[in-house]
Amino acid sequence: MDRRIFTAGLAGVAGTLGTSLANEDQSAPFRGKAEHVISIWLGGGMGALDTFDPKRVGDPASKKAGSYYPSIPTAVSEVRVCEHLAGLAPLMDRVTVVRTVNHTVIDEHAAATNRMHTGRPVGGSTQYPSLGSVVAHEKGALAGGIPPYVVIGYPNVTRGPGFLGPKAGYIYLTDTSQGPAGLSRPELITQPRQNRRNDLLGKLREAGAAERTGKVREYDETIGQLGRLGGPEFLSAFQMDGESAEMRRNYGSEFGQRCLLARRLVERGVRFIEVSHNLNFLNGAGWDVHNEGIKDQHLLIRELDFAFSTLIKDLEKRRLLDKTLLVITTEFGRPPEFDSGGGRGHQAAAFSCVLAGGGLRHRGAWGATDEAGKKIIQDPVGVPDLFATIYACLGMDTGKNLMDGERPVPLTDMGKPVGALFA
Amino acid sequence: MIAECVFLLVFGCQGGPEGQAVARWDFDTEDSASFQAVGNVQRDQPGPRPPEYPGFNSDNTAIRLDGKGARLVLENPPKGGQFDFSNGDAITLEAWVQLTHLGRGGNPYVIGKGRTGESGFAKDNQNWALRLREKDGLACVNFLFATPKNQSGAADSHWHRFTTTEGFRPGMRWHHIAVTYEFGKPGSIKAWLDGKLCPGKWDMGGATGEGPVVDRDSVWIGSSQAGLSGSSFAGSLDAIAVHRGVVPDQTLASRFRGVGADLSEMPAPEKMPEIGIIPAGKVLVSVQEGAAAQDRWLLRGEQLSAPTVSLALNHALIDRLPLRYDTWGIRDEWNAPVLVRMAADLNLPPGSHTLLARVRGLSRLWVDGKVVGRGGPLKGSPSGEEPITPVAAAPIPGARVAEHRQQEIFSTLELASPTQCRVVLETLVGGRQFRADPGETLLAVREGGAARYQLLGDRAIPLEDGPVNEALAANELAVAIVDDQNRRRLGESRKDFWSMRHEKARQMVLDIRAKNEAAGLVQEKSVDAFIDQKVKNALSGKGTRQSSENNWVQEKVMPILQAGCLRCHGEKNKGGLRLDSRPAVTRAGDSGRKAVVPGKPESSEMIRRVKSIDQKERMPPGHALDTAKVQLLEEWILSGAPWVDQEGHAVPPVSSPVLNDHGFARRVYLDTVGVPPTEKQLVAFVRDDRPDKRSRLIDRLLEDDRHADRWMGYWQDVLAENPTLLNGSLNTTGPFRWFLYDAFRDRKGVDQWVSELIQVRGGVHEGGSAAFGLASENDTPFAVKAQIIGSAFLGIEMQCAKCHDAPFHEIKQKDLFSLAAFLEGKPLPVPASSRVPAAFFEADKSRQPLIRVTLRGDEPIRQAWPFEAATGCKDSPVLHEYLGNTRDGRSRLGALVTSPLNSRFPRVIVNRVWRRLMGAGLVEPPGDWEGRSPSHPALLDWLAEELMANGYDVAHVERLILNSLAYQREAIGKNLAAVPEQRFFSAPDRRRMDAEQVVDSLHAVAGLPLDVEELCFDPDGRRPASNRLGLGRPRRAWMLASLANERDRPSLTLPKARMVTDVMEAFGWTGARQFPKTDRDTEVNVMQPGAMANSSLAVLLCRPAPGSALARLALESSSPGELVDGLFLGILGRVPSPVEKELLAASLREGFESRVVAAKTEYPRAIDPPLPKVTWSNHLRPESNRIGLELEERAKKGTAADSRLSPDWRDRFEDAVWSLINLPEFIWVP
Repeated sequence: MDRRIFTAGLAGVAGTLGTSLANEDQSAPFRGKAEHVISIWLGGGMGALDTFDPKRVGDPASKKAGSYYPSIPTAVSEVRVCEHLAGLAPLMDRVTVVRTVNHTVIDEHAAATNRMHTGRPVGGSTQYPSLGSVVAHEKGALAGGIPPYVVIGYPNVTRGPGFLGPKAGYIYLTDTSQGPAGLSRPELITQPRQNRRNDLLGKLREAGAAERTGKVREYDETIGQLGRLGGPEFLSAFQMDGESAEMRRNYGSEFGQRCLLARRLVERGVRFIEVSHNLNFLNGAGWDVHNEGIKDQHLLIRELDFAFSTLIKDLEKRRLLDKTLLVITTEFGRPPEFDSGGGRGHQAAAFSCVLAGGGLRHRGAWGATDEAGKKIIQDPVGVPDLFATIYACLGMDTGKNLMDGERPVPLTDMGKPVGALFA
Repeated sequence: MIAECVFLLVFGCQGGPEGQAVARWDFDTEDSASFQAVGNVQRDQPGPRPPEYPGFNSDNTAIRLDGKGARLVLENPPKGGQFDFSNGDAITLEAWVQLTHLGRGGNPYVIGKGRTGESGFAKDNQNWALRLREKDGLACVNFLFATPKNQSGAADSHWHRFTTTEGFRPGMRWHHIAVTYEFGKPGSIKAWLDGKLCPGKWDMGGATGEGPVVDRDSVWIGSSQAGLSGSSFAGSLDAIAVHRGVVPDQTLASRFRGVGADLSEMPAPEKMPEIGIIPAGKVLVSVQEGAAAQDRWLLRGEQLSAPTVSLALNHALIDRLPLRYDTWGIRDEWNAPVLVRMAADLNLPPGSHTLLARVRGLSRLWVDGKVVGRGGPLKGSPSGEEPITPVAAAPIPGARVAEHRQQEIFSTLELASPTQCRVVLETLVGGRQFRADPGETLLAVREGGAARYQLLGDRAIPLEDGPVNEALAANELAVAIVDDQNRRRLGESRKDFWSMRHEKARQMVLDIRAKNEAAGLVQEKSVDAFIDQKVKNALSGKGTRQSSENNWVQEKVMPILQAGCLRCHGEKNKGGLRLDSRPAVTRAGDSGRKAVVPGKPESSEMIRRVKSIDQKERMPPGHALDTAKVQLLEEWILSGAPWVDQEGHAVPPVSSPVLNDHGFARRVYLDTVGVPPTEKQLVAFVRDDRPDKRSRLIDRLLEDDRHADRWMGYWQDVLAENPTLLNGSLNTTGPFRWFLYDAFRDRKGVDQWVSELIQVRGGVHEGGSAAFGLASENDTPFAVKAQIIGSAFLGIEMQCAKCHDAPFHEIKQKDLFSLAAFLEGKPLPVPASSRVPAAFFEADKSRQPLIRVTLRGDEPIRQAWPFEAATGCKDSPVLHEYLGNTRDGRSRLGALVTSPLNSRFPRVIVNRVWRRLMGAGLVEPPGDWEGRSPSHPALLDWLAEELMANGYDVAHVERLILNSLAYQREAIGKNLAAVPEQRFFSAPDRRRMDAEQVVDSLHAVAGLPLDVEELCFDPDGRRPASNRLGLGRPRRAWMLASLANERDRPSLTLPKARMVTDVMEAFGWTGARQFPKTDRDTEVNVMQPGAMANSSLAVLLCRPAPGSALARLALESSSPGELVDGLFLGILGRVPSPVEKELLAASLREGFESRVVAAKTEYPRAIDPPLPKVTWSNHLRPESNRIGLELEERAKKGTAADSRLSPDWRDRFEDAVWSLINLPEFIWVP
């Protein structure tokens, strides 16, 4: 309650920081209507040349720089993608590959991961909130008893709420067949047994209720809320066997099941879901394809393609695609050159992220890199710009400030939404 | 960092008129002249000695330097003295060097004058220097000086550097080097290596006829440029001399009196080490430093240091090294590789026997003087691509398998008769690039055709998992005792200093009290007396008017003004406005508009400001007041803005009753040792009828070793301890948890440990206080540390000052940086990344910005103490008696913060202690005192005096508080939310267990130890600690750390540890402590009951596992009623009510009599087969990810329950336990 009043009070107000003032005029017109975000994280660093920004094919054996795979045409006439994205190719009119994302962190995965989650360089005086936490903080969940922000992947600081505090944090799970740790009944306790436990606990709480005051009572009442959040409305999302066998097949592997679960969470009112695609089984290294790690990269790309194209079609069929912004991000890209083992190093100066759905005016691709895929030649999109685009798509005012205690912090680090995506 | 040792310098004539030695250092004990050692300088190390180096004494000593800035400093020699060489002067520099490590491009200094980086001197003022210089891995002799800078020339044209074309390979061999030069005659340069004249070349500015820079900068031995690693000498130095004039060729040629052979290529002869007498059944273990490399044995001319640690164990088995401590007893890094020797005498019958050694690195196994087996050296680790190492095969069925990547050395002994053999294992552990971790290293023997191996030593232990785990635990205990002894012995060296300081502090308190007494002041002598006094004053006060209006204003309105306005519009009078009295509020500030127009909220500027949607205008700055508060202010103004004086109107609540024995015991256990009492302890306490049983219990608990555990999480938070298992990220520190833990266990005074923390000593990654000094990914680590020191120990918040002057505080950016400069050891500029861009101030000129920057960007800030007013402590010579070293900035800062001259420090500390036990501080908040007043000033003073007069022993203050009625009352207080005037402490505030207490209590209740993985991704020790930290296997909750798997790799999962941290995070703990904090998030949220109800940890701990307290209770109770009593006492610390008792007993009655179905515990489920080890080296293999997932599955299943209990009844028993830990009462401290 307090928070909503607080944020309402701030809406439309220019910040005390000059940069956000300068931004105000441009940001105001760009207001999308999306309500959810499914953000797919490709940990390790997806190489754009081998996926969404194909160039001339190179040769790892002779160390001739270039793409690893041939490209194919897509639904958008001048936009091509790698041959392993065949499922997405006909859907590219619902997609915009942002080909000119860039930052300066290249040597360290954790630091780059932090940059791509917070939109800022690491600062010595505060921990910035993640994209998901900002959305959770600003917009809350769409329904009561539902958490606003869910991570399907391992918990870490980078995905966390930073100075916004635990209320803007996520709940997480690593196994789609189980609910989130702490909210769902553990496998080894059957439902009848859980009922027995709840019954016993309920009676004991009643028997001792008279002694409870203040904070203790507040805590006691929260046990009741647990019943709601850990209860059927929300937890039914995790009962995936409710989906038809065909639907589950369409989504494919465990990663696909994560995407399916993300859709189910959207249906229940979760605002922001981060889905990690780095299960590593296909090629060990995940997207971090140094040396021999690149040999089975196509399996990863196909898995992504399979699940992501199903997700787009499924959301579209359910009329959720315009309300749900799909995002694919990664900590950095990979250069056109090959390393001594035939794989690729890191490249942060130009790489691709993907936006889809969310009611944006999609164009297949935005921005352009040079022939080699090393330099940006048109429409650079900084990480803050990408974040501003996502916030704007959700109808958020990109000029506003968050509060780090008493200190105003602009929503993004001088980011400007990509205007062309807003019809 | 400056050790107080003295090295002596001989001035005088040595040699003829051409080569007069003006100074010479032999580092022998008889030398005499003062020199200051900085950093890790070890004296009395072996120097060049015969027979390899004839001409030296057989006990010749040298100094050893760490190559990381360790040095000897002769400060600012007088002008015109013997170290000044002008144009035309001739110089000879010579030394004996043993360079053990040379980095690429390194220029290790032997001796030089100037270029120290000290303030007041140019960076390029090299008067002269003798160095070595790396070329193709060789150390070449190098002479360097600078001429005064010529503006027109190239940037380095004033540098003149001569380097020989020949050099030597670094290692343990001693070399003689020398240079002679006549300034002004570029052709006169001559360089000598081992008695041979070496050709060389001038470069940079080239040869010159000009003379060098001459100034009063210091002479340094072993380092340069403020201690830069690349310029620091790693190895030993001896016989350094500076001569005026040129020492003749024949003299220098004859200096090198070695045997001439290339010693570096000649291995030292192999000889079984002399061990002496080994007690029967014992194994002697020693650890020695001084091995040159991890992949070879000593060469001729190399020597190990004397053992740093020796100990006797019962079993030939170790899995870690004993700890190494510095001279103050602070954890330090082993100078790896180290040689570990394990020796035992073995009595064997005739026959054929097999010896087995398991080792990690280069090893040799001796029996009676002969090498009978060898192990190969440790090799580096790839980043993830290493093939999976299969689980080792057991040497015979049933035997314990070798740990991941431990080598097995087998050797057969054929004996004709009963024999006593001496077995010695030598193994090299760690290396320059490897964490010093031996892995599971052991010696075992299989006699004849016996069915099992037995560990050497006390031979009762077969090489099988169960017994070996027990032996490991026993040996760990033995090693830990030796660690404690070594640390405390070394710590003794500081005892006199601290006794002296504590005596001075005590005297100061006595003086204060005597003075007060003389002045006739009443002096209270107990906590309760002060508490009662305030209540009495309030009750007898002139105006205990209790009209409802006054109450309303007092309770509702004043707190809003207090919290939201008075920080700036009180004393500080910001904007010309004060809001601290009725007349003041109705006046106008600089804006000209009246803040309050009584009766007219719509015309009151205050209301306009608090309601403004313009962030620049709105008050208070930052978060807007919520609407309820705004409404209250409006109503208040509407009703004429009635005012209540601060004095005499507070109405104290009635004191709450004293807690019963059960509640008291539970509370005091949780507060002192972090876990509730066991059923037995509780019952014994309640039954005890001695009148002083509460004091006795308090004394006993404060003496308990676990009292140290209780303080850990608190200080880890306040001091932002933040070690990471993978690469460092924002504000990663080393694990200074170990420094704190040692300090608490050793009961160091808080002044001592804080002072030692500030002096950042010992090993960064090994848990010395140096670990506090690290802050990775931060542009100014020491600014962050200064900020932490300010809030933790002085109640001064400086967070804002990192980038600008603080908007709501008196703190200027300069204050923070001048404090940081003490730690940095030199003036410190504000880095560009911590500056507010100029655009900020230009953007909006309509209103004065809240923040200001009064520092010029690149102005280096010198060390200065900005807190004289706040602390009463002055940076003046008066301080010197509290200082170890007057020149060291850190030592000085330590004294400024902790000396008894600082009156703020003890107050901040006792306030923290008070707050932790009472739920609210005397001063709130504890880390930011500016503009706040204490609720009980006299009590605060008294507690601070008590701390000072009792050796700064925090436990003394805890004892005073715990013994007070104020502490022992029922916790229904609302002190935390009250303004100071209304904070009476008539009852303590109710507190929720913190995350550590929740986890430790769950384990205590179950009667099971914390069982999680070793916190380390490099268990095979193939990376440096700086790269992959090891935090060991946690025994208490505070020992956990962030498991952040930013890489989302199942292979990097630690599932059992994550089960624990999931619960802790729900209760506000964070493993990543990037910033200091006193208060965790205390909001009640759904994840907390969620963690208790559903987390794997809580659910599994309800299970009566074999050997657990729960299993014992379930098996041994004679009736359901007795069982329920036991559960209530053990879990909730009280007796159940009849209703509660019947509820649970009813659920356990069915099948109670037949619940025990077997006489012995069996493990029905096959023990899961061992899996190959996943480490950083192989974590990118798909197999590693599969293993990670399998481990997660296993963790979720947990270990089996005690099979003696019938499954059906056991389920219901678990349900009963579950329902009790899920009652709010379990996690709320009584």
